[in-house]
Amino acid sequence: MDNLTEDHQEFNIGIDGGGSINNTDNQFIGRGEKEMAPIAGNSIHRSSSRPQLDLSGAAIQGNFEERDPTILLPNQSDDISHLALDIGGSLIKLVYFSRHENQTVTDRRRKIINARLGITNVNRRSYPILGGRLHFVKFETNKINECLDFIYSKQLHRGGMDSRHWQSEGSVTENTIIKATGGGAYKFADLFKDRLGISIEKEDEMNCLVAGANFLLKAIRHEAFTHMEGQKEFVQIDSNDLFPYLLVNIGSGVSMIKVDGDGIFQRVSGTNVGGGTYWGLGKLLTKCKSFDELLELSQRGDNRTIDMLVGDIYGGMDYSKIGLSASTIASSFGKAISENKDLEDYSPEDISLSLLRMISYNIGQIAYLNALRFGLKRIFFGGFFIRGHAYTMDTISFAVQFWSKGQAQAMFLRHEGFLGAIGAFMSYEKHGLDDLMVHQFVERFPMGAPYIGGSVHGPPLGDLNEKISWMEKFVQKGTEITAPVPTAPPGTTGLGGFEVPSSKGDALRPDASKLNVGVLHLVPSLEVFPLLSDPKTYEPNTIDLSDHGELEYWFTVLSEHMPDLVDKAVASEGGTDDAKRRGDAFARAFSAHLARLMEEPAAYGKLGLANLLELREECLREFHFHDVYRSIKQRENEASLAVLPDLLMELDSMNEETRLLTLIEGVLAANIFDWGSRACVDLYHKGTIIEIYRMSRNKMQRPWRVDDFDLFKERMFSSAEKRPRPYKRALLFVDNSGADIVLGMLPLARELLRRGTEVVLVANSLPALNDITAMELPDIVAEAAKHCDILRGAAEAGGLLVDAMINVQDSPRDSSFSVPLMVVENGCGSPCIDLRQVSSELAAVAKDADLVILEGMGRSLHTNFNAKFKCDALKLAMVKNQRLAAKLINGNIYDCVCRFEPAN
Amino acid sequence: MVYFSSNSICSGDDQKNGFLKDGIDTVNYTVLSGRLHFLKFETTKISECMKFISTKRLQEYGDKDDEASASDKNIIKATGGGAFKFADLFKEKLGIILDKVDEMSCLVAGANFLLKAVHQEAFTYLDGQKDYVQIDHKDLYPYLLVNVGSGVSMIKVDGDNEFERVSGTSVGGGTFWGLGKLLTKCQSFDELLELSRQGNNRVIDMLVGDIYGGMDYSKIGLTSTAIASSFGKAVSENKELEDYRAEDVARSLLRMISNNIGQIAYLNALRFGLKRIFFGGFFIRGHAYTMDTLSVAVNFWSKGEAKALFLRHEGFLGALGAFMSYEKKGFTDITHQFMEQNSSVPKSSFCSEDGSESSTRAHVRDNECIECRVQVRN
Repeated sequence: MDNLTEDHQEFNIGIDGGGSINNTDNQFIGRGEKEMAPIAGNSIHRSSSRPQLDLSGAAIQGNFEERDPTILLPNQSDDISHLALDIGGSLIKLVYFSRHENQTVTDRRRKIINARLGITNVNRRSYPILGGRLHFVKFETNKINECLDFIYSKQLHRGGMDSRHWQSEGSVTENTIIKATGGGAYKFADLFKDRLGISIEKEDEMNCLVAGANFLLKAIRHEAFTHMEGQKEFVQIDSNDLFPYLLVNIGSGVSMIKVDGDGIFQRVSGTNVGGGTYWGLGKLLTKCKSFDELLELSQRGDNRTIDMLVGDIYGGMDYSKIGLSASTIASSFGKAISENKDLEDYSPEDISLSLLRMISYNIGQIAYLNALRFGLKRIFFGGFFIRGHAYTMDTISFAVQFWSKGQAQAMFLRHEGFLGAIGAFMSYEKHGLDDLMVHQFVERFPMGAPYIGGSVHGPPLGDLNEKISWMEKFVQKGTEITAPVPTAPPGTTGLGGFEVPSSKGDALRPDASKLNVGVLHLVPSLEVFPLLSDPKTYEPNTIDLSDHGELEYWFTVLSEHMPDLVDKAVASEGGTDDAKRRGDAFARAFSAHLARLMEEPAAYGKLGLANLLELREECLREFHFHDVYRSIKQRENEASLAVLPDLLMELDSMNEETRLLTLIEGVLAANIFDWGSRACVDLYHKGTIIEIYRMSRNKMQRPWRVDDFDLFKERMFSSAEKRPRPYKRALLFVDNSGADIVLGMLPLARELLRRGTEVVLVANSLPALNDITAMELPDIVAEAAKHCDILRGAAEAGGLLVDAMINVQDSPRDSSFSVPLMVVENGCGSPCIDLRQVSSELAAVAKDADLVILEGMGRSLHTNFNAKFKCDALKLAMVKNQRLAAKLINGNIYDCVCRFEPAN
Repeated sequence: MVYFSSNSICSGDDQKNGFLKDGIDTVNYTVLSGRLHFLKFETTKISECMKFISTKRLQEYGDKDDEASASDKNIIKATGGGAFKFADLFKEKLGIILDKVDEMSCLVAGANFLLKAVHQEAFTYLDGQKDYVQIDHKDLYPYLLVNVGSGVSMIKVDGDNEFERVSGTSVGGGTFWGLGKLLTKCQSFDELLELSRQGNNRVIDMLVGDIYGGMDYSKIGLTSTAIASSFGKAVSENKELEDYRAEDVARSLLRMISNNIGQIAYLNALRFGLKRIFFGGFFIRGHAYTMDTLSVAVNFWSKGEAKALFLRHEGFLGALGAFMSYEKKGFTDITHQFMEQNSSVPKSSFCSEDGSESSTRAHVRDNECIECRVQVRN
């Protein structure tokens, strides 16, 4: 990580350090030229004369659930060409880069935190935090004017509307050069020149395809998926074990490319029977006007009327000797021979299906044979023929499975269709690719995602107001989409077998098969939490939402909670008309997301509860509700702080062992204050904070449902005579504001400090529900420190008290009076946490930590319940949800979990 | 249909005629010396076939049960899907009981027989040039047999009766004819094939040059005339089916299918390390043009390293194989005898007169009888 960031700094300054040799020409390694191939891997500083895009730290923003998600490029320097095109015969694909809209907000916030947090500044400051997003947009080629308008309105040809630097640069440079690929790059070059003053620079198509695929497969966690019988299954691919693979691009024709590494590939095969054949023949045979219409027809067809099946030949019997069942196609269109029928006598639906199966099977077969030939274990299919069409994917999958006898699986890419455009985008800059890391991408699905999906993009929406209007207008028009319509669980209608892939007919809505691709946010400061014992197998979500019942439950929970949330959101913005309007728009947008996900749980990538909860927070932020619970949090913090001194006195009067138990009880008891839990919200009306807290703590009767307290106590005190070695540094992942942090976690932190353990409070970077944020924590600690010497000393040592700032990194050992208490942000804005993507600060402080305490449902139950760490871990939570209690710990609501797991 | 008739020299008394129905192929066979006739009928015109059989009284020379009761129990070996389908019809019209023999076994047996017994059976065909290939019997196996019928079966043959169907494709002769019929309203396969000869596929196919502005995509070894997408031009042009010449459509279709079969066959040969690929089946049927397109395909995909081989008796493999299956006892010996003698006696056009030897020769024409001389040890 450190190397990465330092390198980064360097090449922002020294553009073009390595000269522009080898930029494109040698990227492709042709047959017999392998010996001369440049080693692409170690050319960090190689660059073209183009402005550069730094992909280090790229991240998809948000949950992984949108269509065409945006990628964030945090390390991106200013002088970037930020638009690339793939102009195909039917669609224009656009990939463009924009900087964070809320960059300034984030920066200011971070500055404050960083000012207080000497420890991570060095790491953070080693490169400029520019970051940004990759957007994916499609236009129909015959409506190229819409595309030109879009580019113009977003000022993409001069550097984007929110970048003054770019703008000035753009206007100075008369001749802006934009990378493009696809056949149309030549054809429309003049048009771009005339209308926008852009010179199109043509990039080799195959280079772009491969570069695009490599980028996506490395950078995006849930990019590849299999598709069998209508069921999508995301496949996590270790980027170190990606090559070699076969990339099958099904355009008009089919290219099969063996990819051995970045820029190292060879077209090994192909077939002239591809998408163009399907559409071309289909058009001649059915008079369909569009590819989509033809595909649509196929869904209602029955190919048995026209294909000769094995059963037709063998009088309805299987030819089992060679493993052919009666329904296997023996000869595509073979029945047309013997029947005395003309073209008009066959239904276009049947013809379309017969054609589709013929071509899909054939491609699958040839692809498999080529994979076999070169010993490639993975086959990825892309190109316009696939286009997220479930039936096409199914037939290809069946073919690969059939011919490989189950040994190989066809895989597809969520961003298929954008490979070329991404590749063209990458061609601005080659070197960042090598440093690219999946954990730095965050994919976010903006409000339009459920409607637009992967479809062709409409007019650009400039500001929030336009967004809201669009939402109002659209929802009025398309109400049937917003009303959540639970459908039958997918994949239950299939008959199976090579002969009858199931996902056709009524179970398949024309739109349902399409995947959403969101905006990819690149957050350079994100890193993998270093204490995970096995990051490769780590899965944050405990609850798998691909179980339809589970999804339905959480869908209901979230829907029921919505009116209350909207009320609070509107109130948090002063209850103005504008706030009400935004609140409505939020409700519509989020409902639409939910409806979309109910219909197609995999629409936004692999769906877990954490994604769903984060989606809600993202949705609120999108409509500028930055902190819905602000006033509630404030009130509860104050009330809790007021009773803290009494609690501390009470604790200090106990002996060590009793105190530790009381502290853990306190954490569990205080965890009841959770606005995310319906049951708890009802409780709030019954008493004051301290009353509830005491009542709750008194009810804490051991054994708890999961009770490892004795283990933990043993580690803390040791049963033997010798004094145990105290923990060196503990990371406390805190949950809610108010009693939870003040009366629960802070006293526990204090106890650890007292025992000589450094304590790092890990809190959210952005608000989520009533969770405490890293921004708010220092004030709370400062307030608490007024009443407690231990906390004050530690907070001073940790640089939390503004007027006593100490650079911890320089002098942690010098502050002999106290071990430090620190606060770091975790890098996310969700009630859950995905430990594969945490802030660099957190990653840095984790290096010396030997105890991790995860507190609260979101971080220790919904996510990370099964996470294993390299150090000791304590998971503390009160289960405030009956279903979860039953499912996870076979218990009941308000049961407690105290799970202690010694280092793995 | 393949049937055998004894030469006039041999009296009919002691001869035993085998008769085979293969949808369109029949083999007839006699004990001593005689001729193997190869005939084809369209399955839809099965009545013509039956008429022929009955005229030649072939039904009486099936595999009798040797005993006297034979005449009302004529058992004829047959293969192909129609052996089931038309069993009743044969029974009813001719009193023949069709004995179904496994199709794939027949194909392989037929091919093995021909490749061993018939001199100059295999040949390559490139640019209209037919070159016979001498194959050493001892070095025959393993090979890939690609039978292009309605669908395509690809069979890896490792020896007599040792084979495995390793692959296939549903895009075969039936697809060519079926789609061709829908697209051109041709009335017969031959008509369609004839049309394709006069067509120009560039009108409908999208060529590499069409995409890259007339230039080659030489980087990946594609010339501008390579087909990028079969029928791909139909996509962008505002034309309907009627606006295209039937000839051009037929040509595109043929090239698409031949190319595809050639490719899949080559990939399978590569996969199993088979050095020879024999193509057979009605799709080829001695049609110069389909042989040419298949050869081009194999040549293209293998970069010249593999060649498509064809059999003069293609189309009759199944019928021959079924014909062979009459012989339960001593048949293998006969084949050996065939081989040996054949290898030592090169054939020109007609068989030698030596009655103790077996010999075959064939014309590669449809519905012509091929004379051969067979001596079978009882």
